[in-house]
Amino acid sequence: MSQENLIPLLPVWDQPDTSRIPFWAYTSKDIHKQELEKLFYKGHWCYVGLEAEIPETGDFKRTVVGERSVIMVRDAQGGINVVENVCGHRGMQFCREKHGTVKSFVCPYHQWNYDLEGNLQGVPFRRGVKQDGAVKGGMPKDFNPKEHGLTQLQVARRGGVVFASFDADVEPFEDFIGPEMLAYFDRMFNGRKLKVLGYNNQRIPGNWKLMMENIKDPYHPGLLHTWFVTFGLWRADNRSELKMDRHHRHAAMISTKGEGGKNAQTTNISSFKESMQLNDPRFLDVEMEPWWNGPTAVMMTLFPSVILQQQVNSVSTRHIQPNGHGSFDFVWTHFGYEDDTPEMTERRLCQANLFGPAGFVSADDGEVIEFSQQGFEQKPFHRTLAELGGRDIEDTDHMVSETLIRGMYKYWRKVMGV
Amino acid sequence: MSDNWITAASLADIPDDDVIGITINGHPIALYKFGGEVFATDNVCTHGQALLSDGFLEDGEIECPLHQGRFCIKSGKAMCDPLTENIKSYQSRVNGEEVLLLIE
Repeated sequence: MSQENLIPLLPVWDQPDTSRIPFWAYTSKDIHKQELEKLFYKGHWCYVGLEAEIPETGDFKRTVVGERSVIMVRDAQGGINVVENVCGHRGMQFCREKHGTVKSFVCPYHQWNYDLEGNLQGVPFRRGVKQDGAVKGGMPKDFNPKEHGLTQLQVARRGGVVFASFDADVEPFEDFIGPEMLAYFDRMFNGRKLKVLGYNNQRIPGNWKLMMENIKDPYHPGLLHTWFVTFGLWRADNRSELKMDRHHRHAAMISTKGEGGKNAQTTNISSFKESMQLNDPRFLDVEMEPWWNGPTAVMMTLFPSVILQQQVNSVSTRHIQPNGHGSFDFVWTHFGYEDDTPEMTERRLCQANLFGPAGFVSADDGEVIEFSQQGFEQKPFHRTLAELGGRDIEDTDHMVSETLIRGMYKYWRKVMGV
Repeated sequence: MSDNWITAASLADIPDDDVIGITINGHPIALYKFGGEVFATDNVCTHGQALLSDGFLEDGEIECPLHQGRFCIKSGKAMCDPLTENIKSYQSRVNGEEVLLLIE
């Protein structure tokens, strides 16, 4: 037996391509640990938040990159720093508040003190304590605070959105996202200041990749989401496109609501099921906005950490925060633009009712992801199927394809080495 | 009330090039002797909850024992991070063996 055989091997991808995905990709703890290293901590930019969440000096937000707790903070020069929430002394996750404003960070355990860039500023009793005219204890003479600051992440800012990476060698953000996706990113974040409207938080008991796949899957909305269909926001024959970056890791589902059939762009929309009416028509009081340049919905997946949503007037980021192979937290940040009229802000808030953990539409997704994970766990030797639209990976001009999922797994296999 | 010169300590109480903590009217004051001169500031650091008299006097600056912030003992000026606020300093004079402070 060779030495190599003694090392535990990864599960084998026994499918010819990526149109069939083994269940172990969602159920293996080892795979999950490797994903964190290879997809979240190395070589990728992960979403951490919006600049509008921390407008003033000392404002901070605690969030995560993968499963590592980090803090996004505004410094006195207007810069944004992202530091790891682990004290340089005893390793404690010292920051407990989700949001706040500080002059500096202090770990409560021994009051080690860090500036807004994460540099260690002060250590209690570093020089010991004076007792009876003598100085006793303290840190060694060669103790160098510069070596004990918080881990500082790379930071990329564009259009008011903040990304971070633990990888000092990560490619520039614009290269990471690629020109195809950058156009859609800039459409949504076109330089106007953002205004945070609120958050939804939910924990979904399923593998984090299922959320990426959910937004790379245009097959389900018109079938699972009866609310969409009933009130005319989604039809399989909507004019639409599926696009990917050159690595097939990021994607956009772009659709324009058809002019035919019932038109949802009216206040008193009637249902495709004529007997069903909305009690409150404001949920579908859609107003066209100039920046759309056509599409009424663009759903982007920026692999691996975030979904950027424009569904008519509802705009949000959805942050995927894994915790173990079978669970992730899903954090929605609903926002608007600083130049929105009060009526537009109200409209965005009303339409946000379609989304989030209890959203008229999105509640369905949390459930099907949970039930998918349950299926995988009970039958770990089996595989999912993603053959709609063929087995190839290509951009399309229709919605009846699972090409984006196949694309993501092609990239996933390459990075994961399976 | 007009300004008052108050007897704060006797000169021999303060070791050379060092600092002691005293209390005047319930208010903690740090008294320094440096280069043969006497200086006085508030004793509680403007950053953390620590007494400067437990700190280290060097080159006319007092270093707080908690987070190594340094104040100029003459002017009370905050000299470095993490300090963001100066500390109050007091005029002092020596009359024979007595140290007097001008307390407003």
